[in-house]
Amino acid sequence: MPPGKLISLADAVRRLTWDGMEYASGAALPIGSDAIVFGRELLRQGRRDLHAIFHCNSQQLNLLAAAGAVSRAECGFSGLEVFGFANGLRRAVESGKLALEDYSNLSMALRLLGGALGWPFVPATVNIGSDIQDRSAFAPGEYPARSKIPTVTDPFSGREIGALRPLTPDLAAIHVSLADPLGNAIMLGTEWSRFELSRAAKTVVVIADAIVDTACMRQFPNLVRIPDIVVEAVVWWPFAAWPQSSPGLYDVDEEHMVLMNKALATEAGTTAYLRDYVDSVGGIESYLDRIGRDKVAALSQGPTAFLLDPYRQWILPPEALA
Amino acid sequence: MTRPYTRQEMMAIATGREIRDGELAIFGVGLSMLAGYFAQAHHAPNVRAMTEGGVYGATPVGGLPWGIECNRISANATSFTSALDALGCLVASGRCDVGVIGAAQVDKFGNVNTTGIWDGDGEIGGTYRLPKTRLNGAGGANDIACGAGRVIIMAAHEPKRFAERVSYISSPGYLDGGEARARHGFPGGGPSAIVTTLGILRPHPESKEFELDGWYAFSSPQEIRANTGWALKVAPGAAVVPEPSAEELAALRRVDETGALRKQ
Repeated sequence: MPPGKLISLADAVRRLTWDGMEYASGAALPIGSDAIVFGRELLRQGRRDLHAIFHCNSQQLNLLAAAGAVSRAECGFSGLEVFGFANGLRRAVESGKLALEDYSNLSMALRLLGGALGWPFVPATVNIGSDIQDRSAFAPGEYPARSKIPTVTDPFSGREIGALRPLTPDLAAIHVSLADPLGNAIMLGTEWSRFELSRAAKTVVVIADAIVDTACMRQFPNLVRIPDIVVEAVVWWPFAAWPQSSPGLYDVDEEHMVLMNKALATEAGTTAYLRDYVDSVGGIESYLDRIGRDKVAALSQGPTAFLLDPYRQWILPPEALA
Repeated sequence: MTRPYTRQEMMAIATGREIRDGELAIFGVGLSMLAGYFAQAHHAPNVRAMTEGGVYGATPVGGLPWGIECNRISANATSFTSALDALGCLVASGRCDVGVIGAAQVDKFGNVNTTGIWDGDGEIGGTYRLPKTRLNGAGGANDIACGAGRVIIMAAHEPKRFAERVSYISSPGYLDGGEARARHGFPGGGPSAIVTTLGILRPHPESKEFELDGWYAFSSPQEIRANTGWALKVAPGAAVVPEPSAEELAALRRVDETGALRKQ
């Protein structure tokens, strides 16, 4: 059956990305599913000046920001949850190298929905009345800001609400648990805003931890929230969200989450991190070696591993994907 | 002083006591999640809890989840949906009874800052200048603060965190106080309590200014006022908060298996 839309990670970045683009990723919260390997490849290919649209920060944005590849970002949450502040991102913001426009976790989802539906704006009953509305990092001299979340009147009640700007990123790199070679995708765990993102972006590439036969999609069509017709390319990459977690497939790598964030707190640490975990690990085998094969095995046996059981019979082995 | 529980544990238990059985509830990540699941384990077994990512029916396994999509909160869920569903359909709609959020800085009207710290007097001024310290942003807390029926704010009680006015309103409380919040028509009623490492503050019914309502066995009104950056009033009827019972502590520690709250 392969290859369908299967292409290599390096090809996907070469063909689908460019300097200065609006790049969306950062799927399911700072600890969960995210196409972090896509960000590593963006850095290997030297992409610059990205306008990052991340519903939530993740270690991907933390890394891209630390490496100086992002000049503008829009986020609902910019930390790393219980792992603390995102040191690379905060360093870029505090130094003025990156302008971070703040929204909330609902308003980012609403903006993606607006982009998906082609709406001119999305009515907002959140974010209004706070500095999320009044302060704009993209228009810092405007106070209170009026171009970010302008006030509009509800034509039915007369109430003053906010107008959110829809998002239509140039590319969305979306992490999924399972994809078939055609681009049909299943997300285990919360989908966060990946459904809306897959319809809002001009181009979608899915990065799957495992590739399954299309028979799997025919067995569980209700669970295929990203169908092939919205997908341009499929990349297979095991442990694609590492060191974050992918429910059903692997746990968060606590040790590396801490190590990585500590490294990204300084220029020197970032340089060393890029050398050890980005530039020197361009292939799947060297990547899994660098994580550590014992750790790969241990992280695969987490408390959610049973979630993958119904799908295991359709997972295609690496030799079938060549 | 020896006491069989930490200040953090007292704060989590005092927060959990604010949550009633059967309520539809949303908890943020970290301490607020432990407080919420403590309530479920102790006195609110029928609380209907969700996370902002749309994890339903789950209880944490193996200790404090690292995040709201952590496998520790995904191992026994009955439904996985999305942020639009949880924060939108169930919270911004006004359907959720109670939310628990954290604060890096909170002011006398219950406005929360989790976005940044600015140097000088803390005022940002007319130009949105760079923060001295960038924090985590609003996340889902802004949406919970707008939409949840009532909100409980958890914060470590230190003078720099309890300000006359926050530098940046990430999540709205009562804004300028009085009727200021009503102007925006939020479905949520606003913060009902600020539960801290030293005591409990509640809003005055008209002015919406937060006043001291309770202190702990190990703290005092004097200590709390010394750690609050505005002239904190003491509400009529303010009293010492009951210490954790043995049952409460046991329930909390079953949820906090990895001892996140026991670190001093």
